[in-house]
Amino acid sequence: MPLPAILAHGLTKRYGRLTAVLGFDLEVAQGEIFGFLGLNGAGKTTTIRLLLDLLRPNSGNASILGHDCHREGLLVRALTGYLPGEVDLYGDLTGRELLDLLGRLRHQPVDRKYRTKLQERLELPDKDLRRRLREYSTGMKRKLCLIQALQGDPPLLILDEPTEGLDPLVQESFHALLFELKRRGRTVFMSSHVLSEVVRVCERIALIRRGELALLASVTDLHKMAQRTVRVTFSADVTVVPKGLPPEYEVVELQPRMWHLRVRGALGALAAALTGLPVCDIDVMEARLEEVLIRYYREEGA
Amino acid sequence: MKSGLALFVHSARRARTLILTVAALLVLFQVLLTLGAESLQKATSFPRLAALIPDVFRQVLGPSLLTMLSFSGIACLGYFHVAVLAVLVGLMIALGTEPAGEAETRFLDLVLAHPVARHWVITRTIALLVTCAALLAGAMMLGSGLGLYYLVSSDLARAAFRPVPKLSLNLAVLMVGWGGIALAMATTVHRRSVAAARTALLAAAFYMVDLIAQVWKPLKPLARYSPFHYYNALSVITGSGNASSDIIILACVACASFLLAYIIFQYRDL
Repeated sequence: MPLPAILAHGLTKRYGRLTAVLGFDLEVAQGEIFGFLGLNGAGKTTTIRLLLDLLRPNSGNASILGHDCHREGLLVRALTGYLPGEVDLYGDLTGRELLDLLGRLRHQPVDRKYRTKLQERLELPDKDLRRRLREYSTGMKRKLCLIQALQGDPPLLILDEPTEGLDPLVQESFHALLFELKRRGRTVFMSSHVLSEVVRVCERIALIRRGELALLASVTDLHKMAQRTVRVTFSADVTVVPKGLPPEYEVVELQPRMWHLRVRGALGALAAALTGLPVCDIDVMEARLEEVLIRYYREEGA
Repeated sequence: MKSGLALFVHSARRARTLILTVAALLVLFQVLLTLGAESLQKATSFPRLAALIPDVFRQVLGPSLLTMLSFSGIACLGYFHVAVLAVLVGLMIALGTEPAGEAETRFLDLVLAHPVARHWVITRTIALLVTCAALLAGAMMLGSGLGLYYLVSSDLARAAFRPVPKLSLNLAVLMVGWGGIALAMATTVHRRSVAAARTALLAAAFYMVDLIAQVWKPLKPLARYSPFHYYNALSVITGSGNASSDIIILACVACASFLLAYIIFQYRDL
């Protein structure tokens, strides 16, 4: 069985009386795209910085591809590409100088062809790399930071808010790039608060709330947890109330010619309840996973 | 080693304009001082200058006043002039606090997310401090040498150059010492301005303590803790002091600061 890409056990980080991360457990398999969600200040960046040994935990430990993040930090970071959530780049450097500097810090030399390919994918041509960073827009800086994280082609990518500041077209390109990385067996651990993005590209998600893991689920499981809205219309007035519905069925509104329900799970029980009634139409509105996650954000889903 | 060198080259490239400008100004300043000293010497103005000094200052400054108002004293004025010292120590503080600046901008996150051992960040800064101090002290020595050997070129001038190498070494070690203190300070905070301001205040306070202790004896025990106490330029010029032990003490201050910086930086959160 392959080693997990990321394994965390009871990670805890306190700043004085403030607990940023508490007893955080996580396992990310190799080759998956994993979404790490949380509101601002929930502990996402702290957790990432603990994994990279930039912060030292008060208790607990973490390993990346079987290597302890603290004791074997150098090895861990040789296997990792990191995109920080926010970084103030030196304005007097050119984009190329920054990439070259960070490339020289890697154990293996950077493959120029691969870097050029990344530049093309993320639309940051050579002429832009020759410009000083003070002339860069927020989006260009983000692209540059993405390229520096990816340029060593490491087996694990830890990306903190990767699409923040990117235009929709580059976001598309970036998502395609993520799928390509996954096909090549790379693992991507990305934090975000853009739910639609996470739901679209990630296979599993973890949601951190006030430093604690509030939810760990696959996107498929999320779909099961999400409530679909069902609207049943009748061709004649119906006076009976639906009977025998399991607790996953929430009746929102009952009118003589219309039932409005929220359903989590399969619709079989509803079909049985409608037997013999003058059903005119059944309108099923797909679940929005964002609503599930928002419930967890709001601490209703715990 | 490769990553340490890459970081050093990066920092040196960013600081080179400032360092080279200061070095050029110091060369020029030293040449001008030498020419000024020659002019005063030719006009036999030194005794007249000494006569203009009020008695109270003459008593306070003692024999060092005569040294200051001599050909050697004026030619070497740059080595103990408060403005020059402020510029040199200020520059070392600016270089020494680089790790705090990098932590503040999160550039360190980018660097240390790569397979770079933390100690390279400190080693890089130490290498930069030592290189810069050597370059600036060397520039001053070059300025003195140019002025004394090529522009004045008399036996007196050659005699005046004799203490310059030791003076430059003592000054360089003082600079490295303050750079080390700034570096140690920088490893304890997340903001460069805080580290720089604290070190600058400390330097100003220690300079004043050392200065006042020369005229007010109760401060003398405290002055021993000031790095400036171990840089007595006038004693080096007259050859009366023990510059070698001062240099060793300042080197120890620098090494202790470096060690402290290594230890704190190794265990701190970034």
